[in-house]
Amino acid sequence: MPTILSYVAVQNGKPTRSSLEALSRAREVARARGADLAAAVLAPDAAAHADELGRYGAATVYAVSDPIFRSHLNTPVLAGLEAVIARAQPEAVVFPSTEGVKDVLGALAVRTAAAVLPDVARFEVAGDGAVEALRPVMAAKFLARVRAEGKPVLVSVRAGSYEASEAPAEARVEAVPFAFDEGSLRQTLREVVSSAAGAVDLSDARVVVAAGRGVKDAEGKRLVEELAGVLGAAIGASRAVVESGMFPATAQIGQTGKVVSPDLYVGVGISGAIQHVAGMANSRVIVAVNQNPDAPIFDVATYGIVGDLYKVLPPLIEAIKQRKGTS
Amino acid sequence: MKFCVCIKQVPDVTAPIQVRDGALVMDAGRVVLNAYDASAVEAALVLTEQHGGEVEVVLVGPERATETIRKALAMGAHRGTHLVVDEGTPLDSHAVSALLARHFEGAGCDVILTGKQAQDTDAGLAGGMLAERLGLPYATNAVGLALEGDTVVVTRQGDTGQEVIALPTPCLVTCSNDMNDPRIPNLRGVMQAKSKPLASERVAEVPAPRVRVLGYEPLPQRAPGVRLDGEPAEQAAEVVRRLAEEARVI
Repeated sequence: MPTILSYVAVQNGKPTRSSLEALSRAREVARARGADLAAAVLAPDAAAHADELGRYGAATVYAVSDPIFRSHLNTPVLAGLEAVIARAQPEAVVFPSTEGVKDVLGALAVRTAAAVLPDVARFEVAGDGAVEALRPVMAAKFLARVRAEGKPVLVSVRAGSYEASEAPAEARVEAVPFAFDEGSLRQTLREVVSSAAGAVDLSDARVVVAAGRGVKDAEGKRLVEELAGVLGAAIGASRAVVESGMFPATAQIGQTGKVVSPDLYVGVGISGAIQHVAGMANSRVIVAVNQNPDAPIFDVATYGIVGDLYKVLPPLIEAIKQRKGTS
Repeated sequence: MKFCVCIKQVPDVTAPIQVRDGALVMDAGRVVLNAYDASAVEAALVLTEQHGGEVEVVLVGPERATETIRKALAMGAHRGTHLVVDEGTPLDSHAVSALLARHFEGAGCDVILTGKQAQDTDAGLAGGMLAERLGLPYATNAVGLALEGDTVVVTRQGDTGQEVIALPTPCLVTCSNDMNDPRIPNLRGVMQAKSKPLASERVAEVPAPRVRVLGYEPLPQRAPGVRLDGEPAEQAAEVVRRLAEEARVI
């Protein structure tokens, strides 16, 4: 029976939401093709995630365990994925489009002689095993319909393109032998400079509050943080306020930053340049607060508030507190 | 140290573009140096200004893409190589990286730089593919780049933070536009670029692409939104009511 393999990225000891979305889509595709669904996990203790992945329908979990996977480094990740692909012989490998995956996808395609469709919004496996996908191009103004053939085809899926859904199966763990010679690394990870430890990863968040150029000072930043606090949201930012140093680079949303697709996105003082919209237009509900009635963000907003954020946010924060307190 | 920077000419994505019968229709004259590649050129120039060395730019593309090489030379790159293909030749990351790998075999580059992706396709594959074909250690999505002797120190933007990675030479690094603000060529640079060495080699055989583009379509439109008027307190109350009762997200 053919196999569809789904790569699961682990962050802070848990599979990321985008990984579970990709796994759920891989399950639908496998079911339609009568294929087996397998998951690949590279982590210090990869087998520990098998039960959770079984809940999402993985019949086999290829577990590559090594302490080196605590932090991302492309050489060991490539070696681990190569080993799993050699063993599973999948028709297609489905990835979440994380920064870690973007770092290895091209090299992995060459190494496994695979065709690759990166960062897609939709995909399916055709009757002949070819993969067809829709991917945003031209700063996400258009979708390109693309097709790749071969075995395997690698496809990475943008966060929020599919819902994560459970369909419990009994997952069988297959430990993949992995010995890594540190001498062959030819790269050294000196340090990882993280923004707030344990903070919600933006691309995994259900609610995002994003700050733009309209947020001018410490008082504006405090209002954004308070709004994010009452909503339980992760904080994002436009390129302008990341460049000015007010928000960390990990907060940047857009074509060059992170792609977010939360249930609720609140843009505060964000004008909505195409590069930013490319990273958030897939959000389910969009609220925009901006002083300029002609700001392009209002073209994609579900609810638009034309107004001064310094005047709108205080009553907004109060109203949310009240609503949450009474419900 | 010899820096080799792979650059691409791309359509200006901010120009008007339409889809007609599944094809993109745009002004063929509105083309630019890919912004991420411009950051890679800038990074190479800064490092050679600090540590000495030379910057070569390499481009795969049709005849008219020569102007993009001249742009990089005007920024300050020392020499250019144009791997010329026929106008309209289908190229994907697989084909481009194969052509570049062939060019770089024995070219003696210490550091190969390129943009982390192209602005038109946003695929972001060619850098990693090229590194793998050449058997080089690499890092992608660099937001910082420094030299410590023969060691290249890359700060890359990862999923949960910035990863600081040391690579030996030769190596390959793909650059984010968050790394720097590429210089705008001045008149002197533009004049000098005209006499800088630019080698042009016609590509005899282009590898078959692995990915076929079947067509283009517009993005699905979002349902039109609602503007909430009134005083700030009224706007706030109304949006919260709608988020709770209509959208059911809080």
